[in-house]
Amino acid sequence: MTLAGCLTLAAALFSLGVYGLLTRRQAVAVLVSVELMANAANLCFVAFSRFRGDVTGQALAVFALALTVAEVAVGLALVILLYRAHGDTRVDLASEMKQ
Amino acid sequence: MNDASQLSLTQSYGPIFMIVAFSLFIAVTMFTLASLLGPKNPTPEKAIPYECGSESTGAAHVKQSVKFYLTAILFVVFDIEAIFLYPWAVLFQRLGVTGLVEMLVFLTVLTAALVYCWKKGALEWQT
Amino acid sequence: MNLVLLLSPILIPTVGALVLMMLDAFQKEDGGLAMPTALLHFTAAAMALALWQRGVPSDTSALHGFLAIDKTSLFLDATIALGGGIASLLAGGYLAEHKLDRGEYYPLIAFSTAGAMLLVSASDMLMLFLGLETMSLGVYAMTGFRRGSPRSAEASLKYFLLGSFAAALMLFGSALLYAVTGHTDYAGIAEVLHAAPANAAADAAAAIQVVTRSRISILAMLLIVIAMAFKVGAVPFHMWTPDAYEGAPTSTMAYMSSVVKAAAFGAFARVMLAVYGDAASAGSAAGWPAMLAWVAVATMTVGNLVALTQTSVKRMLAYSSIAHAGYVLLGVIAAPREGTGTTAYASVLFYLLAYTVSNMGAVGALILAGRRGAESVSYDDLAGYARRHPAAGFAMTLFLLSLTGVPPTVGFFAKFYVIRATLDAGYTALALIAVVNSAVSAYYYLGVLVKMYMRDPAPGAALASPMRSGYVTVAILTAAVFVVWMGVMPERWLDLAREAVGAATAAAPSAATAGGNAAP
Repeated sequence: MTLAGCLTLAAALFSLGVYGLLTRRQAVAVLVSVELMANAANLCFVAFSRFRGDVTGQALAVFALALTVAEVAVGLALVILLYRAHGDTRVDLASEMKQ
Repeated sequence: MNDASQLSLTQSYGPIFMIVAFSLFIAVTMFTLASLLGPKNPTPEKAIPYECGSESTGAAHVKQSVKFYLTAILFVVFDIEAIFLYPWAVLFQRLGVTGLVEMLVFLTVLTAALVYCWKKGALEWQT
Repeated sequence: MNLVLLLSPILIPTVGALVLMMLDAFQKEDGGLAMPTALLHFTAAAMALALWQRGVPSDTSALHGFLAIDKTSLFLDATIALGGGIASLLAGGYLAEHKLDRGEYYPLIAFSTAGAMLLVSASDMLMLFLGLETMSLGVYAMTGFRRGSPRSAEASLKYFLLGSFAAALMLFGSALLYAVTGHTDYAGIAEVLHAAPANAAADAAAAIQVVTRSRISILAMLLIVIAMAFKVGAVPFHMWTPDAYEGAPTSTMAYMSSVVKAAAFGAFARVMLAVYGDAASAGSAAGWPAMLAWVAVATMTVGNLVALTQTSVKRMLAYSSIAHAGYVLLGVIAAPREGTGTTAYASVLFYLLAYTVSNMGAVGALILAGRRGAESVSYDDLAGYARRHPAAGFAMTLFLLSLTGVPPTVGFFAKFYVIRATLDAGYTALALIAVVNSAVSAYYYLGVLVKMYMRDPAPGAALASPMRSGYVTVAILTAAVFVVWMGVMPERWLDLAREAVGAATAAAPSAATAGGNAAP
């Protein structure tokens, strides 16, 4: 695995995440997109960590992983909350002015 | 990436590739032999999807109870905390007493979270 | 021991939150945790002040460069803890009144406070991310606290999704910085970015490397700025703000709009100044103040103009908080300027404290006006309110005047210092726009006062009357004391803010190393 390969993969994951975030309406799908983005960043950290022979990046990636999982847990709990209140898990991030 | 790391890559993953290849070979051989040698006389009864001897009912996509999500969320959260244990375990000798104390603090916090879940009834299956 | 002492402002809410969790788990019935939570916060604030008085120990090597415990972070810690304490008191009244009083709210608020303190003390990308997430996760849950309310659930999910989007951008930004510099601490990153021009002349390969590094560092800067703009609710990344604020329980709104904002701005200013603060060496990325100037103009203008059209006081306060984010941005923009930058940075800290107490008070007064089943949220609900209930009406008046920026309340001086700093830094047009915006904002704040004092309620309409809650009363009084105190002697408080940033910016860029906390 070359550095360029890792970075291309990370960039692709990140872009996919952004695309999903902008186009998806299902809350879980949006959540997955956000996680893709976070993991793209983690991949970058790990790739550069290995490339530079420096463990700081790996340590950061481990922390970031744990934090993202905590984030997912809260997110899924909120999805359940929405499902119970609404009977639906669609979320429209663009809607604003409902008075 | 230099030659040394390439070498170590093949060295460390070599056995795994061998296991994968071997199990593939076994599986393919068995299925091929079974389909070549076994007798075949299908009946409509035999052609229906097999479900533990009972007749299959309902759609394939069943809505899971929301209780599974709660359990799954809790599992994932507690599970991922294990990633902090691995580096600590690897460096246990070098981290010494300080590392031990720090890990104990971490585990205490985790236990507090577990106790909280327990007392709050998040682990109860029947609600 | 040194370490425990240094971290005590952060450790108190962390350990306290765990204790609150256990109390909540083992107590027989809900309720009664508001007071311990508030005391916990005020203790943390007192501890931050005590550390300030004692002087920050010069040897902070125990922190390994992860956290900068200096006067800047102590000032912000105290602001956050004060805001968190007031918010817990407000929650004690609000949640009980509206039958939401479940114990988990209080550990959540304490954890968020701990995260906010980590965030403002962070001097490493890891800690920045850790603090950001710890703070946000608690607030997401607090936003969705009105279980069974579709509004609240949708608000929290929307806030969560955009918040974690921002966090992912931040993480990717730090990954890029790590990629080009090999460091995750601000000092190390800045050092490598600064060192770039020196070896650029050596050979062509190095020159290309420098160009790449500068380009990637600009990209990283953009990602971090966008992430932070989301967190502080700056235009064009503000779209979650009104919905989230409106759907959230009002006590959570108080916390989100003051404490979270103060923490995010504190961290924002620190990371920008430490990593990109030195104009000469940060290269093109040093153009961020000019870029932020546009963001500030848009934030102030959009916030104020949309606030004008609101009929709900809660939503009006949400847009007003966007507008205030724009004013604070002015100070951040002026902060990297040589010479006058220190005062600008100090004006940011002053503004954050002033906004925290004024906004807490205004939201508190709004909470006070809402009985169970009749949360006062629209302008019309408040018609004649101040005539029927002079004391409660006066409290609302005081805080709204402070938000408007009428002397002698603290809001006036907060705006004054920020705008003066903008002028000193040479952004005349920006200062003018801020003044015009401030004048526009008077219209909607004073609109509430006009309703309260001069309008009669529509016949047959439900009359808003204040709820009886010792918690809310104490919270409002605390906020009022600060609004008046800081308004009467603003120079004294500005001096404190100056002292807070003195060490952090005076010796830049070398102060960027080791968190810049020379002991006084």
